[in-house]
Amino acid sequence: MPKHPSSGQYAIIGLGVAAGAQPGRSERMVAAEAARLAIKDAGLTPKGIDGAIDLRRTGGGGDRANYTDAYSRVLGLNNCFYFVVGRGGALAGLGIATALSFLDRGIAKYVCLMGAVTDWSQAQESRKHGHRGMAHGEKAGYWGKALGDQRAVSHHSWMAARHMAVYGTTSRQLGAISVAQRAWACKNPEAKMHGRPITVEDHQKSPMVVEPYHLLDISLVSDGGIAFILTTADRAKDRPKAPVYVLGQGFGEVSAELWWEKKNFTHMAVHPAKEQAFGQAALTLADVDCVQFYDCFTAEVLFQLEDYGFCKKGEGGPFVEAGSIGPGGSVPVNTSGGLLSCYHLGDLTGMAESIRQLRSEAGERQIKDCDVVLTTGHGGELLSPGMCSIHTCTLLGRHP
Amino acid sequence: MSEKSNVIVSNAPWNKPLPNIDHDNAAFWEGLKAHKLLVWRCKTCGASYWPKAYCHNHENEPFAANMDWVEASGRGKIFAFNIHHGAFDAGFKDDVPFVYALIELDEGPLISSTLVSGRMPKDIYDVGQKVEVVYEDHPAEGFTIPRFRIVE
Repeated sequence: MPKHPSSGQYAIIGLGVAAGAQPGRSERMVAAEAARLAIKDAGLTPKGIDGAIDLRRTGGGGDRANYTDAYSRVLGLNNCFYFVVGRGGALAGLGIATALSFLDRGIAKYVCLMGAVTDWSQAQESRKHGHRGMAHGEKAGYWGKALGDQRAVSHHSWMAARHMAVYGTTSRQLGAISVAQRAWACKNPEAKMHGRPITVEDHQKSPMVVEPYHLLDISLVSDGGIAFILTTADRAKDRPKAPVYVLGQGFGEVSAELWWEKKNFTHMAVHPAKEQAFGQAALTLADVDCVQFYDCFTAEVLFQLEDYGFCKKGEGGPFVEAGSIGPGGSVPVNTSGGLLSCYHLGDLTGMAESIRQLRSEAGERQIKDCDVVLTTGHGGELLSPGMCSIHTCTLLGRHP
Repeated sequence: MSEKSNVIVSNAPWNKPLPNIDHDNAAFWEGLKAHKLLVWRCKTCGASYWPKAYCHNHENEPFAANMDWVEASGRGKIFAFNIHHGAFDAGFKDDVPFVYALIELDEGPLISSTLVSGRMPKDIYDVGQKVEVVYEDHPAEGFTIPRFRIVE
């Protein structure tokens, strides 16, 4: 199959990362700072940005767009549109798909996409009131909140538990994912867990939070913002940094199968998303040089390895236990350390790492001759008792 | 707490988040107060849903008029479960550790709640046990919470 006419016609030309704890800073200032860095990286000025998208976790337990000072206004962008896109952890993938329609019709030449959170700072406040973990207590309309289902781990852990019961997966195997990503983080000075390697024994000894999940199965709670600038391939050619091309995108939803098939406790909606994205790009799994999977918890990584076909369904446990996804493994996964060990800024964490790998800016963790990166997002409302529904797949490349 | 058959009456103050009772599920919560576990059933094909939905199997009447709440068996089996070792919300401090289970009702839909009274799964691989609903009445609060217990 030839590639789709849109494949390689759009590119990311700027990246801005404001990572790490941001105490005493508002979310809008963190957002504006990430956007400022991205615009500068693209060799542009705020007046050169004519469209702004705010990537927000509008599904699940995440925050809502609850402030009025949009980062575009704080920063003085020359934008003709600003709005919010997002669904749980599926932010950057949906944002790119949205921005393309504005670029395609010439409404915008350069679109800034930015996502920022202050989860770490909020969690510190919440702790003072006797609560634990991320401070997202609202969950309006959610069935489980009166039952103690207060955090993502309260129900995401069912996915790990179900996979374990059906396929015999073990906690040590999930631990191998955590260990592999920590090894990557130790090659990334920006990662929160840089310099803190772990073993499977450390994983097993870490506190049991919601069994079967230990603390080290659970992603980090972070502050920070990430922004990137998207434009058309022709405009991308004369920018300071090498363009990162959008080769294909695909989307899947499991909600249609929620009640009857009950598949989404051992599968994610990868199948349609993979077919669409790889079809547009005319690529196969063998063309992928590294993978940035959405990894809110360890089992999400396991499911995606199986669902994309890096190993057979149910065989993810032995696959990761063999060291396949860490440094030196056959499939480098979450090379920044991911949400588990770098920082949790939704799928922007994987998007930023994809851009760096394709620009050869990844330092000690750089994948040699990195031409194609697969990056995913995952999320959605907690439609009780179902799980995050959407899966997004984005293929990025060094060449159009 | 006093316990009689599959009913628990609690007069302890409810210091947890309140259940979400809205237009779509008010009848379901009324059913619980009458000690009935309701599912949303299609009058055309008999398929059961929870929570409320349009029937996925065929064309629906306006606003799902072809559907109705009916009493379910109150029985099912454990599909998956986890064990909460810590309380994220301070209101659950006295409850941990607790088993939070995903129950596959005999009628088909999944529902979640905690397990109460009696046998608990021996480890995370121990799924599929038959369960039945237990009604936890909170008369002072005006609602009944459905819990489950293993019956085999």
